[in-house]
Amino acid sequence: MGLSNGPRLSGMQKQVLALYRGFLRAAHSKSPEERHKIESFVSSEFRRNAKQIDRKNFQYIEYLLRLGKKQLEQLKNPDTIGLSSLTVNSSQTRRP
Amino acid sequence: MATVSATSLNFRPLTTSPPLGRMDQISRQASSVRMIGAACTKNITFPSLRTSRFQVSCMAKPDTVQKVCDIVRKQLALPAETELTPDSTFASLGADSLDTVEIVMGLEEEFGINVEDENSENITTIEDAADLIEKLVQLNSSHRI
Repeated sequence: MGLSNGPRLSGMQKQVLALYRGFLRAAHSKSPEERHKIESFVSSEFRRNAKQIDRKNFQYIEYLLRLGKKQLEQLKNPDTIGLSSLTVNSSQTRRP
Repeated sequence: MATVSATSLNFRPLTTSPPLGRMDQISRQASSVRMIGAACTKNITFPSLRTSRFQVSCMAKPDTVQKVCDIVRKQLALPAETELTPDSTFASLGADSLDTVEIVMGLEEEFGINVEDENSENITTIEDAADLIEKLVQLNSSHRI
């Protein structure tokens, strides 16, 4: 993956990390059980994409960033209890 | 008011004394600050005292470092025999940038602080984290006084 720590991150990498942080923050507001589920799901999604997607595939990464931001907005809604709706979303985008 | 000025005179030399026994100074200083806070009314402020506290904060306390180590160990699921030193970079412990985000989140929760995005990118070692935490914790407590 080659993401290094320190100030050498690109703008897009920063955006991805900010999104990840946003998801983890949003998970804090849910019940402990759901929080754990959300965290493990979000973490595996980010890691999976980080592994699979070519680092230069900016268009696709940007698309995923937009998608993730929308999903985060949904998750932030206090009426959203868990992540089941997002799981449905992601299984649609997952390729066989 | 007389007691207040006497106390502040008492511990001002402490900050200028050589860095030997610094840990001890921090705790003594902290306690005297608290004493003043209790002795005087709220609207008396001590700007000079606060700045002197920040200067001392450049070295993190051992128990803060220890707490950071524990969280890092837990977050990265490091085996017990892995040695952690303040200079250990997260990258050298096998953490990627996502792990680093998780570590910083864990630290935020543990210490009840809020690390800004720009700051969290500059944390690469345990010492960085401990220093930043002490700074933020002190900021928090000085807001409360």
